[in-house]
Amino acid sequence: MSERRFPWEAVLAFIFGAALGLAYAWVLAPVQVIDSAPEALRAEFKDQYRAAIAASYAANGNLTRAQSRLALLNDADAYQSLSAQAQQLLAAGQTRESQQVAQLASALQGLAPTVAPSTPTVPIAATSTQAQDPNAAATSTPIETETPLPFYTATARPTHTLIPTPGKPFELGTQENVCDESIGEGLLQITVQLTSRRQLPGIELILSWSGGEEHFFTGLKPELGNGYADFNMTSGVFYTLRAAEGGAVVPALTAPVCPAANGGTFFGGIRIVLQRP
Amino acid sequence: MKRWVWILPALVIGTALGLLYGWVVDPIEFTDLTPETLRADYRADYILMVAEAYQSEKDADLAARRLAIFGSDSPAEIAASALPFGRENGFSASEISALETLVAALRAWQPASGAAP
Repeated sequence: MSERRFPWEAVLAFIFGAALGLAYAWVLAPVQVIDSAPEALRAEFKDQYRAAIAASYAANGNLTRAQSRLALLNDADAYQSLSAQAQQLLAAGQTRESQQVAQLASALQGLAPTVAPSTPTVPIAATSTQAQDPNAAATSTPIETETPLPFYTATARPTHTLIPTPGKPFELGTQENVCDESIGEGLLQITVQLTSRRQLPGIELILSWSGGEEHFFTGLKPELGNGYADFNMTSGVFYTLRAAEGGAVVPALTAPVCPAANGGTFFGGIRIVLQRP
Repeated sequence: MKRWVWILPALVIGTALGLLYGWVVDPIEFTDLTPETLRADYRADYILMVAEAYQSEKDADLAARRLAIFGSDSPAEIAASALPFGRENGFSASEISALETLVAALRAWQPASGAAP
C-alpha cells in the first residue's frame, strides 16, 4: 500500500528557484536605468533642472509650460522648493538665477510680475506644438502630447521686460524704531510679506540716499525669515526705501538716537514691514 | 520515484516567478540618478530650456554650465544632440531655431575666454 506524502521536495525546489530568480533579478542583473524621469534625479541635479525651468520661464513667460515642467520633478510643494532654491542661489551670489527662480515661485502664487516673452533671434510667428505632459513620467513621452502654446510674436523689445504686476503694489505695513543695544547700531530690518503674513523671498529692494543707492533682496538670511532683509545705516544719513517692482516709498529713514543703559546714547535701528494686500 | 519528477518543474516555476517579481512586479527603484539616465524626451526638453534661456540671456558660458550636467561631451555636441529628436518629434520652428542658435553659439564659444565671440 502506497502512502501519499506531501511533496516537500517540490516545495523546497520551488522556494529555491524563486530565491534564485529574485537574486538574479535584484542583484546580478537588476533593471537597467536608461529612461529615468526628472523626479528620480539626485537633489543637486533637480535644482539645476528647476533653475533651467525658471530661466526658460524668464525667457518665454509661459507659466503653463513651466508648471508642466515643474510637475516632472514631483516636488511636494513647488513654491517652497523654488523659494528655498532662490535663497540658496542668493547666498551663493548667483543673483540672476536667484531672481529667475524667485520670479517663477512668485508667478506660481499669482503674485509676481509675469515675464513677457523676449524677442526671438529669428523673427518667427508660429504656434508652438511641443508641450510637456505633467504626467509624462507615468505615461507616454511629453512630446506625444501636443498642446498648442501661445503665439510667439516678434515684438520690438530687445530684452525681456517686466509687465506691471497683476497684484496690488506693496504698502507700508509697520515702521518702528528699535532701541535695542543687543542689535547692531543703525540696523534697518525689512520684512516683505503678504497681508496673510506669508513672507516673500527674492523681492528686490532699493535703498537710496544722497550720493548712493543699494539694491538687495529678501531671503538672503532665511534663518530670520524668507522675506527678511537688512542694511546697516550710517548715522546722520537719510535713506529712502522702496521695492524695485514699485509700491510704497518710505522716505526719511535715519538711525534714531536711543538712550543707552549706561546713561549715554546709541544709534538704534528701524524695523519696517512692507506688505502686499 | 514519481515524487522526484516534480522537483525540476517546481524549480523552473519558482525561478520564473522570482524573475517576474524582481523585474516586473517590484523591480529595484533607483533614486539619486544622474542626468545621463534621463529619457530622451526629458533630455531634449532640458536642452530646449537652456536654448530658450540663451535666446534671452545671450550668455554662452552660463548655457555651457547648464549643459555640463550631461557629462564631459562638449556643450555644442550636447546641444546638437537635441536637434534630431526635436525635428522628429514636433518641436516648433521657433524651438528648432532656438536650438540651432544655441548650437552655433556654443560651437563658437571658447571656455578659456569664457564668452562667445
